[in-house]
Amino acid sequence: MKSFRKLVYPYVIWAVIMIGIPMFMILLYAFTKDGNSVRNFVFTLDNFKRFFSDKVFIDVLKRSLNIAILTTVFCILFGYPAAYAMAKSRFKIQWVLLTTIPTWINMLVRTYAWRGMLDNKGLINGFLGMIGIGPIKMLETTFAVVLGMVYNFIPFMIIQIYNSLEKIDKSYFEAAADLGANRFQTFLRVTLPLSVPGIISGITLVFLPAVSSFFIPKLLGGGQYVLIGNVIENQFLTAGDWSFGSAISLIMAVIIIISMYITRQIDQKISPEGGNS
Amino acid sequence: MKKLLSLVLAAAMALSMGACSSSGGSAASPAASGDAVEKYGSDTLKFYNWGEYIGEEVISNFEQEFGVKVVSEYFDSNEMMYTKLLAGDSYDVLVPSDYMIERLMKEDRLQKLDKSLIPNLENLCDGVKNLDYDPDNSYSVPYFWGNVGLVYNKTVVDPAEIEEKGYEILRDTKYKGRIYIYDSERDAFMTAFKALGYSMNAENEDEINEAYEWLKSINDTMEPAYVTDEVIDSMANGNKDIAVVYSGDAAYILEENEDMGFCMPKEGTNLWSDAMVIPANAQNPKLAHEFINYILSYDPSYDNSVTVGYASSNKDVLADLSAEDGEFYGNEAYLPRENYEKDEIFHDNETLKKKLSELWIKVKAAK
Repeated sequence: MKSFRKLVYPYVIWAVIMIGIPMFMILLYAFTKDGNSVRNFVFTLDNFKRFFSDKVFIDVLKRSLNIAILTTVFCILFGYPAAYAMAKSRFKIQWVLLTTIPTWINMLVRTYAWRGMLDNKGLINGFLGMIGIGPIKMLETTFAVVLGMVYNFIPFMIIQIYNSLEKIDKSYFEAAADLGANRFQTFLRVTLPLSVPGIISGITLVFLPAVSSFFIPKLLGGGQYVLIGNVIENQFLTAGDWSFGSAISLIMAVIIIISMYITRQIDQKISPEGGNS
Repeated sequence: MKKLLSLVLAAAMALSMGACSSSGGSAASPAASGDAVEKYGSDTLKFYNWGEYIGEEVISNFEQEFGVKVVSEYFDSNEMMYTKLLAGDSYDVLVPSDYMIERLMKEDRLQKLDKSLIPNLENLCDGVKNLDYDPDNSYSVPYFWGNVGLVYNKTVVDPAEIEEKGYEILRDTKYKGRIYIYDSERDAFMTAFKALGYSMNAENEDEINEAYEWLKSINDTMEPAYVTDEVIDSMANGNKDIAVVYSGDAAYILEENEDMGFCMPKEGTNLWSDAMVIPANAQNPKLAHEFINYILSYDPSYDNSVTVGYASSNKDVLADLSAEDGEFYGNEAYLPRENYEKDEIFHDNETLKKKLSELWIKVKAAK
C-alpha cells in the first residue's frame, strides 16, 4: 500500500500551484498598495478600511448575503422533495442523469437563454399573452435573479441530498415501523435527521457560488442588482485596483469560512451521525 | 479532516474570482506555407480582436490568399486586452479603442508602422483619419468607428421630443422603467457630462460630482436597467423604449426592428474609433502589416461592415453601404456624425477613470 502513496504527489504539486500560490498572491495584494507591481510593496490596511467605512459597500454585502440565503432556502425547499422522490423512484439513474445533464452546458449560455424566456416578448410572456394575461415584467427583477440562481445551483443541492438519502439503511425504516411510527413520524424523526449531512453539503455548494456570483445578477438583473461579485469583478477588470479587489475577496472568504463553521456546528448538533462523515 | 479540507477548498473557490478569458482558434487552412515562412518569417498570425467584430469570410480568405494561418482570440473590453498584454502575452495585431491606443503609445507598447507596407492607407475615410490620439496614423489604422446615441421606439417616443431633449429624456419620469443605460463608467459618465454641457474629459472635481448626481438621479427615479451587449437583442425585441447605444449596434437594431429610431443628441457625443495596432512584442510584424493592409482593402472592409453593422474606415465601403442601393441606406445610425463641434474623443486618463469607475459602481449599488 505504501508505494501508492506517491501517487498523491502530482495532486499536491497541482494544489500548491493552482490553490496555494493564487491565495498567497491575493493575501499579498490585499494588504499592499499599488495593485500591479509586486516587487516593491508597502503594507497597509487601507483597503479594508475603505470597504468597511463606505455604506455603499456594506449595503452591497448585505444584498449579496440576502440573495444567497434566499437562493439557498429555495434550493432546499424545491430540492429536498425532488431528491426524496428520486430516492424512492424506480428510475434512480435516469433521474440523476436528468438532474445533471443541464450542468453539462455552459452556465453562461443557459443563463443567457433565460433572458429570451423572461423577455417581455419572450416565450413565457408569449404563452401568457395567448391566454390573455400580461405581459408581466419578469426580466431585470429580483425574481429573475433568484430564479437564475436557483436554476443554476439546484442540481448541486438535489444530488447531495439524494446521496445522503440513498445511504440510509432501510432497516431504520423497518425499525421505525415496528415501533409504531407512521410515515410522517418516520420521515420527521428518522429520514430527515439522517439526511442533514446532505443538506449541509448542499448548502455549502449552493451558498458559496451564489454569494460570489456576478454574471447571473448582471444578465438577469439588468445590472441593478450589484452584488459583491460584481464589485470584485469591477475592481479587477475595469477599475484596475487589484489590491482593493483582493481585499474584498478576502473579506468574502472570511465570511464564507465563518458561515461554513456555523453550519458545521449545526450539523453536529442535529444529525446523529454528524461530525464524522 | 475532510471537512477542514472542504473549508480550504471553499475558500479557494471564493478567492478565485480573477479575470477569465476565452480563446478560440480559427480553423487553419492546410495550404502549403513554405512560401509564407520565406516571405514573412513565419506563417502564423496572432490576432486579438473584439468578439463578433469581423466578417465571416475575412479570416479564411486571408489565410487562403496568403497561405498562412490566423489564430484569433477575442476580448470583451479594452481593459481585459490590456491586462493580458501586460501579463506578457504576445500578439501580432490588436484592435483597441482610441484611449487605449493612447495609453499603449504612452507606455511604448506599440511598434511604429511601416507605411510603405500599407498602401491601402489611402482608402481611409477622412472622418476617422489622423485623429488626435495618433495625429498621422503612425501607430494605428482605424478598423471601425462611430458615435454613441439614443435608440428609441418611434411608436412611443416622439422623434421631435427626443431631438429636443437629448440626454435629458433619460430623466423624464414619463419613461420610468423604460430605459437602458450602457453599463460602463466611460459611456455612462459621457452622457452625464454632455447632458450638463461639460467636456467628457472633465478633470474638475465639481463637474465630476455634478455628473455623479445626474446619474444618481436617474438611478433613483427612473428604475433603469444597466446592460452592455444585451441591449442589442433587447432593443431589437422592443423590450424598452429608450437606450444608450453605440451607433454600430444601433444600426443593427434599426435593421432588425423598424419601430426603432436613432437620435444623435445635440449636446454632443463620443466620437470613438477602434484601430489595428502592432504591439511591441509582436512575433511577426511583417505579416501583421500585410494583414492590416488586407483588412483595409475593399472586400474585407465591406464584409466586416455588413456583418457587424459598424461604420467602415474604408471610404468607398462607407459611401457604397449608405448609398441608395446599399445595405444601410436610410439607416440613421450607420453613418457617424462628422465634424460636429460638441463631439469629442475620449482621452486616456488613469486617475479620472479610477474615480469614475468607483463612482459608477456606487451609482449602481445605491438603492
